[in-house]
Amino acid sequence: MSALLEFDDVHYAFPGSAIPALRGASLSIATGQRIALTGRNGAGKSTLLLHANGILRPAKGQVRLDGAPLEYTRRGLLRVRRQVGLVFQNPDDQLFSASVLQDISFGPMNLGLSIADVRRRVAEAADLCGISNLLDRPTHALSSGQKSLVALAGVLAMAPRILLVDETTSGLDPWMRYQIFAIFDRLVEQGVTVLLTTHDLTVARQWADTVVVMHEGRVVASAPPVQVFADPDLQALLGPAP
Amino acid sequence: MRVIDRYAFGNALRDVDPSQKGALALLAIILCLALDHPAVGILTLVWMLALTTWRARTPLRVFASVLLTEGAFLGLSVAGIALSVASSVPEAPVFAWQFGPIWVSATHKSLMLAAHVLTRTLGSAAALNFLILTTPLVDLIEMLRRMRLPEGLIDIMALTYRAIFVLLDSLERMVTAQDARLGYHTLHAAMRSAALIGSCLFLDAYRRSQQIQTALESRGFDGSLRVLPLDYRRDPRMWQIGVGLTLSLVLARMIA
Repeated sequence: MSALLEFDDVHYAFPGSAIPALRGASLSIATGQRIALTGRNGAGKSTLLLHANGILRPAKGQVRLDGAPLEYTRRGLLRVRRQVGLVFQNPDDQLFSASVLQDISFGPMNLGLSIADVRRRVAEAADLCGISNLLDRPTHALSSGQKSLVALAGVLAMAPRILLVDETTSGLDPWMRYQIFAIFDRLVEQGVTVLLTTHDLTVARQWADTVVVMHEGRVVASAPPVQVFADPDLQALLGPAP
Repeated sequence: MRVIDRYAFGNALRDVDPSQKGALALLAIILCLALDHPAVGILTLVWMLALTTWRARTPLRVFASVLLTEGAFLGLSVAGIALSVASSVPEAPVFAWQFGPIWVSATHKSLMLAAHVLTRTLGSAAALNFLILTTPLVDLIEMLRRMRLPEGLIDIMALTYRAIFVLLDSLERMVTAQDARLGYHTLHAAMRSAALIGSCLFLDAYRRSQQIQTALESRGFDGSLRVLPLDYRRDPRMWQIGVGLTLSLVLARMIA
């Protein structure tokens, strides 16, 4: 399977921080995978996602999309963000518009699509996330679960090939989690790669086909769940098994 | 603010084009100021009350409470016009009260002037209340966008509006967290907790602004918050109401 997105020996330290967040992280992601990215707090999971979307630029190493290194120019970043969607942990940090419809339309509008195409994308994303009835609602009047779905729809409306989800499902009730994982499954069926950062080892074990383990800014394992959870060293790293 | 926002999103005129509602409110304010008579001010108030409660189906108590809040500030200003404080009684006072060496009095002229200002301001305030109780800010921003206001200004308004509610949520959470740890148990503790919230909210606002910037960039932000224009319904009755409002206010001015 050819790599869709690759991290090659990526190093990064946040400005003012003495401790690097990434210390040579390397990972290869293929099309249509369900990936659970896990590791302890501060392992570098969110930082890796920010590199995938071109928000952060490696101090050393390379991020490649379809084999080509990311270009940090306006055009290059547009190309990356068109294909790599990023959903943030807290939807309140992502939703900027008072209108659900307008918030979802923001990404497709930035892709330079026609108004008719943007409307179609918004309707499709809202339908996929089951929030068509919320399009006229103000974002501040939504429940936290609904906000998560709107934030997800805002990224899906850009029709990414890779969806990166930063712990969005934590703190949601079981039905809402079920709904979101059903959306992920449909996306994977359509050939989209879904990468979810999570501390929930049950999700990593049962939902993912690949579990990526990070520790101290490095990827220490990338393998099927059976293999990862059979390894006592990795088990010790991740914590008590559920 | 949340109450106004709730009714602005839930009233029967919600889907009517905001430019129609804005034009009607503006027309009422211009007529109220230009015709400049207490009867016109009162009639404007009645029109706006009727439109808000009857056409938009916003409860009377909501309209009244918003107007009374504004009226409280207005009352203080009008009192300054109506009453004069002096060491001697003015000529022909309607009433005069003595407090030691000071006289507080009002003349017919000052009372008329106060009534004039009061009715004119209440009429204009009622017109604005009609607009804010029937039109969410997101629609007003859309209206300003169509009026080709600078994009930067529109973007700042949109982000500020959203940030207000995010910060209100943060504020509520912080207050609850403090209250659960006896943060408001005594007056002294309450003062200290309130002061701490101020600095925490500032930091929270800063952190969130950075997060929103990152999230916007991840969706292709390049300096302009481009979003879909919203669709609205054109209500032909709004024009009829505009004509009726104009005729009735002009007539009231002529008769009074």
